[in-house]
Amino acid sequence: MEFPVFQFSYLGSGMVIGLDAVLHVIISHGLAIGAVSFIVISEYLGLVKASRDWEAFARDFLKFTIIITTGIGAITGAGIWLITSALSPRGIGSMLRIFFWPWFSEWIVFTCEVIFILIYYFTWSRWVRERKLKHIYLGMMYVFLAICSAWLITGILGFMLTSDGWPWAKSFWPAFLNPSYLPQLLLRIGMAFSLGSLFSAVFLLFTRREGTFRIEALKLFGKAALISFSATAVFAWWYFSVVPSTFKTHAVFAVLTSRFSQQPEIFWYVNCAGAIMLFTFSLVSMRSASALAKILIIPALLVSIGFVGEFERIREFIRGPYLMPGYMYANQVLLDETPFFNKEGIVKNDPWLTMSPDNQGIAALGAGLFARNCSACHTIGGINDIAKKVDGRTVDGIFVILAHTHEMAPFMPPFSGTEDERRTLAGFLYGLSKGTVKEHTPSRFAPAHAHGGGTHE
Amino acid sequence: MNRLSDLLLEKPLPDALLRGLLFTSFTLHLLFVLLTLGTAILSVHYFIDSHCGGRPKELRFDNRILKTFMAHKSLAVVLGIAPLLLIQVGSTIPFFTAVNFFAPYWMLLVVFLIIAFLGFDALGHKIYVHRYLHFAVGVLALALLLVVPGIFAAILTAFENPGRWQAIMNGGYRLTGVLAVHWLFRYLHILGAAVVFGSGFHYFFIAADDTERKSLQTWFVAGILLQFILGILLYGLLPERPGYIITAFLLVGIVAAAILLWAVFSVVSKNRPFNIRLVLPLLLLVLVSMLLTRQFIQDRTLLPLQKRLEANAIAYGNELKPFERQTLDTYGASLKVVYDNGETIYSRSCSFCHGEKGDGKGLEAKRLTTPPEDISAIRTTRRYLHTILAGGVSGSAMPYFTVFDRYKLDRLIDYLDKKYSIVRVPEPLPVKISDALFQQAGKIYDETCSLCHGSDGRGSALSKGFQPQPPDFTVYSLSPERTFDVITNGYPGTTMSPFGSLTADVRWGLVKIVHEKRGQ
Repeated sequence: MEFPVFQFSYLGSGMVIGLDAVLHVIISHGLAIGAVSFIVISEYLGLVKASRDWEAFARDFLKFTIIITTGIGAITGAGIWLITSALSPRGIGSMLRIFFWPWFSEWIVFTCEVIFILIYYFTWSRWVRERKLKHIYLGMMYVFLAICSAWLITGILGFMLTSDGWPWAKSFWPAFLNPSYLPQLLLRIGMAFSLGSLFSAVFLLFTRREGTFRIEALKLFGKAALISFSATAVFAWWYFSVVPSTFKTHAVFAVLTSRFSQQPEIFWYVNCAGAIMLFTFSLVSMRSASALAKILIIPALLVSIGFVGEFERIREFIRGPYLMPGYMYANQVLLDETPFFNKEGIVKNDPWLTMSPDNQGIAALGAGLFARNCSACHTIGGINDIAKKVDGRTVDGIFVILAHTHEMAPFMPPFSGTEDERRTLAGFLYGLSKGTVKEHTPSRFAPAHAHGGGTHE
Repeated sequence: MNRLSDLLLEKPLPDALLRGLLFTSFTLHLLFVLLTLGTAILSVHYFIDSHCGGRPKELRFDNRILKTFMAHKSLAVVLGIAPLLLIQVGSTIPFFTAVNFFAPYWMLLVVFLIIAFLGFDALGHKIYVHRYLHFAVGVLALALLLVVPGIFAAILTAFENPGRWQAIMNGGYRLTGVLAVHWLFRYLHILGAAVVFGSGFHYFFIAADDTERKSLQTWFVAGILLQFILGILLYGLLPERPGYIITAFLLVGIVAAAILLWAVFSVVSKNRPFNIRLVLPLLLLVLVSMLLTRQFIQDRTLLPLQKRLEANAIAYGNELKPFERQTLDTYGASLKVVYDNGETIYSRSCSFCHGEKGDGKGLEAKRLTTPPEDISAIRTTRRYLHTILAGGVSGSAMPYFTVFDRYKLDRLIDYLDKKYSIVRVPEPLPVKISDALFQQAGKIYDETCSLCHGSDGRGSALSKGFQPQPPDFTVYSLSPERTFDVITNGYPGTTMSPFGSLTADVRWGLVKIVHEKRGQ
């Protein structure tokens, strides 16, 4: 409880981080790794075939890609970190300590990556003829560094689902090279080339006229898409086969949510339809049917973005109660702290709540307990609205349920606090559901009416 | 506040190394931040100066300036990663706390930076637009970009003043009084430095003729003068007397800046160009010494605080120690639990109320005003059971279980049915009822029970407002004994009151009537 709380109104923490992260993944995988790889290949083809079309395509596509990757990709990537710093400081703070050196190495790799792509971009028209091959090596070097970035970050992401022996041994290497590490890395590279081939096809179909070059290039991107999709599917299967069943069993729910969980067929239908869509597009492209490909490409791109979103959602959701399995719950309470707070109380061990003015009213205490226990996933009045979740329950029902959240819904963390605190929270939640407690989302502790700092310590 | 503690995980590198890396990487980052800001300011200025693009585009100075934006901003962003990482590891509590105070603005950084970067890069990379649109995009991008150092300045101001956290919190998460003034001067100080570095860079690397150089000279000199004034104002706001180290660094910076100013004036008066070999080292010396001054001012407050936080963290860790073993054991065991079968789901999600034996006597049953149902007594249909599981019983503790998908709930229903055979019609009555009694009971049902349960057993219009509502007798029943029990004793916490005053025979008659509604 080292930090004050900030709750993101309406969307909630998870959704804000998720939206930013998915946008980042689409750009960092699809453009920074995938598209640039195809740009380098196109440039190479321009050289060996002495084709001005390939050369010009590569150059124009690079301009688009570099503006998007350095403008949106880099910022949304740092954005995941910036946003979690505000919404989940204890989680990110702890992760930074465990993975300091990969993070620091990532800084060096990332800096080199940017320097390489800038040189690659700015020397395009100067390194020509006999220096052209060198220029292509620059591009390859960039792609290699971009994959190194993925290599470093994936260890950290994998840890958040499969921390394996870390909670016991607390040693770095098993945490970094956790069981889902390799399959996830390959899966991400597969995703990068899948998205990259689709982005290349979009750029091709919408900026190049009908003609032999377009047909030739479309064939290549179609073939690349087919191989990438197949590889991605295989790696996805491998990835999910190493995820422990205790987490994996919630995958369908992760996608469907409470709203559709009683029609689970939807999950299979939609995923199959999406996969068929993608393979159809790649076959159409390979058959050089460029008019049909132009119709299919935008839906295909949207489907692939949907798959990316689905994968990230599943991965983030099924780790369920944990932010760092075996160490910290999703609500940033340490596993060790729950029994401690159950005995000693969470409110008095929360310096920020005790510091906040107006901290003694039942609504303020209830809101404080909500903030610490629930607000990582639930909002008041927004997405995953807690008032709707408890609506219909009796106050004693809420009181009992709060004691068993982690058993009843296995992806929820347990309540941390004494029985009295649990009763306070139950009363607060019941009041919310009945509309008697009129608390608009308390983004922070004790909405500061500036009562002159009534600390009770 | 004295109870705040650091995180429990140890720091991954020694403090001295951390501080050295932080200073170095921060200086590099700041250098490119200043170039980015300076480039943005100057590009918009020279665009307006060119009659908003009225001059031929190949000649336009703003266009050549803006071309460098992509490199500056990309490097500023990546170089920012290391200082952010190091400050979050080295001064975890102060930094995250300060971020938290300004959380909405901090998160807006993402949006502002994206719009500003896309705007400038689009304008700088041959995406030609009408000049009014160019003007609008440029001004918007600049405005958003200039907000960014303002947010960072606010966060660093809060970061360096842990003594004011309570005041910031009570004041509605705003900087007030001296802190607000400090923030303003600091912010302007960053912009001043941006002008100096930006004009310096473009003077040496982009300007193509004397007119352009002359113009940048003016910016450069004005920037340095502004920095002197803002520096003095900031110095005046220092809360206590600075120590010798701080004064020494400050003096070095001031002397270097003064020499720089003198050198600049002397070449300007002789109408000669600046010498990069003189200007660049002096500029960097000013930057480094001023940043060192800042660093040491900050350390005076934060180093002792950090010591205290770490001591508190050790004490707190010791308080948690006794729970560690048990916690890890529980965690290890929980990894083996998979909610993919009826038995697990029942024992984890249901039994704490309904009991291990399904008798409604779970651990928590006595805390509930509406007691959990004895599951073994339920006689219902699959569909109705699913409705209850997926929708809960409003007005009771029974929640909805859509957290489990349909496949899982089906397995749960299979499990319950196998164990208690609940998907069926109720068994025959254990007693015999005479026709007369049955008719008497029927009369009572019509006169009394049907008011709520409805003559068809599906619940009357009146009962639709009840919390909880009566069950639908056509699809849901309880075993004869349990039904008899409910009629006799009522159902606590619901509208169903006890009818024990009726004779037992009549009550059995009512059981029969209720059960006969099944399937109708």
